[in-house]
Amino acid sequence: MSQNNRFSDEFLNAFVDDQLDGEEKDRAYLEIGQDETLNRQVCELRKLRDLTQHAYRDLPAPPSATTAAGKRRAGSRFGIAACLVLAFGTVLGLQIDAPRLTATAPAGDADPATAAGTTAVAPVVTARPATTASPTRAAPRTVAATSVPTVGATAASDIRNKVIVHIADDKPAQLEQALGDIESLLRYYRDSHETARVQVVLNGRGIGLVRADTSAFAARIARLQKEYDNLTFAACQNTLERLHAEQGVAIRLLPGVIVIDSGVAEIMRRQSQGWTYLQV
Amino acid sequence: MRKVLAVMALALLAIGSGCASMSTGGKQKVVYHINYNDEAQLKAALGNVQNHIAAVGKDNVDVKVVMHGNGVDLLKTANTDLDMQQKVVNLKNEGVDFEVCNNTLVKKKINYKNDLFDVSEKDIVPSGVAEIARLQQQGYVYIKP
Repeated sequence: MSQNNRFSDEFLNAFVDDQLDGEEKDRAYLEIGQDETLNRQVCELRKLRDLTQHAYRDLPAPPSATTAAGKRRAGSRFGIAACLVLAFGTVLGLQIDAPRLTATAPAGDADPATAAGTTAVAPVVTARPATTASPTRAAPRTVAATSVPTVGATAASDIRNKVIVHIADDKPAQLEQALGDIESLLRYYRDSHETARVQVVLNGRGIGLVRADTSAFAARIARLQKEYDNLTFAACQNTLERLHAEQGVAIRLLPGVIVIDSGVAEIMRRQSQGWTYLQV
Repeated sequence: MRKVLAVMALALLAIGSGCASMSTGGKQKVVYHINYNDEAQLKAALGNVQNHIAAVGKDNVDVKVVMHGNGVDLLKTANTDLDMQQKVVNLKNEGVDFEVCNNTLVKKKINYKNDLFDVSEKDIVPSGVAEIARLQQQGYVYIKP
């Protein structure tokens, strides 16, 4: 594949983790914006990173309410049993298979501890997003358990304000106001020295804002992207595919606009990660 | 039998504590977002807020209406349109806060004392959009009517 020659995996990872310097980043934005396959690759990496960070951040939380409850109960019972056996063994000096005990005891310990910490909040806060996002989240969660993405994880948790701005309409006056809102939001955070990330999610008619052939705001978007490196425009793949099917041509996007699998799913995913949402 | 009773008691306890944590002090917290100036739409939105309060009771809900961009026209209209004004007054009497974006005031050169209905300094927020994000961080639920 051609993009593999241009960008190594390390480079793309560095791009996603925001570890490139300005010039490299400019080049990456430009090329990624123009190459759909590359764009999708970056989209996947970004999603994986976010999910990994998310999983890493609340590692103690059970992945879903129903299965976790069962595991938790079994885990705590096992933990208590393990502790009893351990105590019994120590006191009486019985000859118990030591390696097996040490292997099971930490696992038994970890489960009940986290269960106690999360039961109070888990049902309310996570119930809604967990049902929709759990299938996609399952895989990265296991990744998080084995690999240690330290650099990215700390960077994301340092960001105080994470905002999803949803645009699903293409009336020029409304888009004009929406861009004004986005800019004033970014300026507000910059002026008040608050860390922030703003992701503009475009689906349905909202795609019109970032279509290379029709957007009336290309220059303004380019200026915003240049001025605020914490701003991302993300277009919905489902909408792009629908438009492709309807109009018979591949939709080209403005430079730097990334593609996400589904606008609606992204909005729910982000909210479950603690992002705030508003529609303009 | 005793085991069954014990399980039921535990289940009740769990449900009870679940409900308690859900209502956080017995009050819903809601932010209504308004950034358009179509009059019929604005009145419908205020109708939504009114119905929301009627449904849960004014002591059980903390409502903030955040206006920015064209949405600020709501309070401009309320200066002359008595129906709109009455809706605003009624909602304020039920504890609703109407917050106005200062960026919009500056950009559109609006003097809130003269041009808008019943706005004082405490109702002005630096950025309407940032205020909506901030309120959500504090547990307010977002509704765009």
